[in-house]
Amino acid sequence: MAMLASLVRLMGLASAAALCCLPIRAQTRTRTSAVNDTSSAQAQAPYDLQGYWVSLVTQNWQFRMIVPGPGEYADIPINQQAKQFADAWKAAAEEASGRQCEAYGGAVIMRLPERLHIHWHDANLLQVDIDSGLQTRLLHFAATAAPPNEPVNLQGYSQARWVKLMNSGQLFAPPSAPPNPDAGSLEVKTDHLQPGLLRKNGVPYSSRTRVREWWDLRTEPTGQRWLSISTRVVDPQYLIDPYLYDSIFAREADGSKWAPSPCSLRF
Amino acid sequence: MGPITLLAEVLRGVSMKSSRLTLGITLCAVQALCSGIVNAQVDLSGNWVVESTQEQRIHGSGPFPGNFAGIPLNEQGREGGFAYSGDQHEELYRQCEPWSVHYIVAGPWGGRFTAMRDASGRIIAWQLSSPAYDRLPMTIWMDGRPHPSSQALHTYAGFTTGQWSGNTLATYSTHLKDSYLERNGPPVSNRQTVSLFFTRHADELMVLGVVRDPVYLEAPYALAQDFQLALTDTGEEVPLYCQPAEVVEGLSDGFHTATVLPDQIPAAQTQMHRLYGIPLDATGGGAATMYPEFRRRLQAEYHPPTAYCRQFCCSGRSAALVCSRPAQP
Repeated sequence: MAMLASLVRLMGLASAAALCCLPIRAQTRTRTSAVNDTSSAQAQAPYDLQGYWVSLVTQNWQFRMIVPGPGEYADIPINQQAKQFADAWKAAAEEASGRQCEAYGGAVIMRLPERLHIHWHDANLLQVDIDSGLQTRLLHFAATAAPPNEPVNLQGYSQARWVKLMNSGQLFAPPSAPPNPDAGSLEVKTDHLQPGLLRKNGVPYSSRTRVREWWDLRTEPTGQRWLSISTRVVDPQYLIDPYLYDSIFAREADGSKWAPSPCSLRF
Repeated sequence: MGPITLLAEVLRGVSMKSSRLTLGITLCAVQALCSGIVNAQVDLSGNWVVESTQEQRIHGSGPFPGNFAGIPLNEQGREGGFAYSGDQHEELYRQCEPWSVHYIVAGPWGGRFTAMRDASGRIIAWQLSSPAYDRLPMTIWMDGRPHPSSQALHTYAGFTTGQWSGNTLATYSTHLKDSYLERNGPPVSNRQTVSLFFTRHADELMVLGVVRDPVYLEAPYALAQDFQLALTDTGEEVPLYCQPAEVVEGLSDGFHTATVLPDQIPAAQTQMHRLYGIPLDATGGGAATMYPEFRRRLQAEYHPPTAYCRQFCCSGRSAALVCSRPAQP
């Protein structure tokens, strides 16, 4: 009888242990979850992106810091149609038509050498001012899709959401445990883009282009903060594969180096 | 407390007809075990291959000799880079010179993450390996151990610790040996430190790397690259490690040493300048070349080539499918 009682208790304990573990494993399997509660995006932000950031052009320098010559299409997975377009493209004609900002569109704007000024326009709208080409991006957190009849434009329509790890390893940590800094990412999806250029020598993208970005904030042991943005450009009209690139920004103390400059296809 | 010890505690609690208090403590212990599982965080296990297209040309043909634009080399680093010659890898003992740990974000290869567990199943380290690195795997210690004394052994794999922050694994490497930042020879010393940030988004892995070196760099050198989880075998198990071989006669005496006098830039190192008109003060690198304002300096000196591209015009699938056809007039 005592043995039976022990067995029942053991089964009870095993069930309790399973109850402890089950939800956790379920959470671990569902690695991420959007922050979909009723509070504002600004209140839910896992970190503060506001401030000034400068891009560091350490990769793809030849195609970002200078205007490459005709036919230099390396690193962009163009198709034949894109090549024909770019081969026939002339900067002078574009500038004469007032289209000098077409190389500053939403598919490539974060790739340019530039400074960003990030600030909340309102609690659910993050504004990114860009000094190169005097551009502004608006990241809409409240929207799940562009409004009906939203016109195409140079920066397109960007939906944004914070993505946090549901369980950041602190479930059973004591209340005094320090919060995880930088724990979360910003996912941005952009469409409604007007046609533009991926490179200032005429490599095009179409209005069918879709852009997905991951914005991640990273802090070194030195305290230096970096914003890295991973961008995937998909264009069924001009690309044979997605165009993937990374942009790195370093935090600046203030806006003293902010240097607005107009769009140019010559430089 | 390991799971076997824990189970023994549970059984002891039952057999001793434990009180409710003991039962509560036991359940808390079970919870602690469960939290250990959670602390394993994101699973990085598997083969990861480079997904970014941004450096396909460099990943293929390699960077041009003497082109360090965007690399924050100081004067000493610049001289070291200009003195570099690919010939030196014909020397038997340098043929298999390994890459430092930062090369995960600079090179064309991905790598394999493997979890190292203790007896209780807890992850105590991650190993990042690839035959292409020609060195031991990078071991990322997750158990909180300190970095050893600065006098401790330096290796190409270095000594690395890591910790999770949400879905990002942040690592910090020290005790690395002298190496190169890129295939065209910009040097990095054994005093370098490397911070890597691995952020997993579903089957993609975004990696940011920051190299600091007081000997050859005048500012941190930051690089980023994206990877895709490979669902098929990537050949990781094949022993591709470099094997030194006899030097081909006539190419080198086997004991070649590059001889470049200070303040000299060998002609072979000015290819970028000659082909693309990029000023030499830009190709020499330096922290200033990373920043947007450097374009103002270039504006006066740089004029885009007018001739149609002749080499390395396309990369990836486009090279074969698109650019192999003659250019439009």
